Amino acid sequence: MNLATRLAALAVGLVFGGVLCWSGMSSPEVLRAGLLLENSYLFLFFAAALSTAFVGLRLLNRFGTRSVITDEPLACPTQRPERRHVTGAAIFGVGWAVADVCPGPIATQLGQGIAYGIPTALGLMLGVWLYLRREQRAVAAPAPSVRAVTLPDPA
Amino acid sequence: MDHPQLAWYIGGPILGLCVVAMRWLLNERLGATGAWSEVVERISDRRPGLGTRGAFFVGLVLGGLVYVLVAGSPLFHGYGWLTDTFHGAGGNVAIVAILLVSGVLIGYGAKLAQGCTSGNGLSGNAMLSAASTVATGTFFATAIVVSFLIKAVT
Repeated sequence: MNLATRLAALAVGLVFGGVLCWSGMSSPEVLRAGLLLENSYLFLFFAAALSTAFVGLRLLNRFGTRSVITDEPLACPTQRPERRHVTGAAIFGVGWAVADVCPGPIATQLGQGIAYGIPTALGLMLGVWLYLRREQRAVAAPAPSVRAVTLPDPA
Repeated sequence: MDHPQLAWYIGGPILGLCVVAMRWLLNERLGATGAWSEVVERISDRRPGLGTRGAFFVGLVLGGLVYVLVAGSPLFHGYGWLTDTFHGAGGNVAIVAILLVSGVLIGYGAKLAQGCTSGNGLSGNAMLSAASTVATGTFFATAIVVSFLIKAVT
């Protein structure tokens, strides 16, 4: 982990965060109007971002072989859907609709000095911490079915 | 709104290019939840220092700061339906409590789903990861339903 790596990530974050503010993605009014289908901005913005990322990653995989700064082979990890993706996204969706803000914009609200961003940020950190704790306990105490495999064969 | 909103056909593609830049420069999946998670892992002593995602998090916060310095103020006043519905000191306590609980749902849910609107919604879908598509469909559908429910009761 060198300075160039950190600076590059910081620069990408800076552009990402600045655009989130300028486009109104950190504004609960804009998010709410989108989710109530009163305004098409949210969906057009999302579709434009996604299609650009899709085309860009395709071009990278076609012409690029290794990452510029970390010099690693470019990965394109995909995953099969599991129950956790539905359950987690549903829980996330409720919080997203009530607070009208998602994790990137919450960070930018802190930078913009928006006081209402503080309780949302503290809650987000608590939620992440609860998840990490649950994950750690699951690793420490394996599921009973795993132990059952080690039992001697009765025959 | 206090300032003009950046056109979707300019802002959207810039966000998309950020996803591409993260992969091209660092071979990383861009995601805000991963960034928050690294900060929490650092605070709770699960990791020794901040890495790429932590630096991305600092960038996000600075992006907000730079926007306010350039534009003069945030794009909005108040806080959406919450400040329209709850008033006075008691109302403010209610808003803080609601935002805190919403934050817990956002953080826990995004970790469980392995990504939020950026990690799953943009990066994962752009890589055609089926798990991200399922997660994105689920959070958009849930959020739309919940937004209409809130509108119905307020």
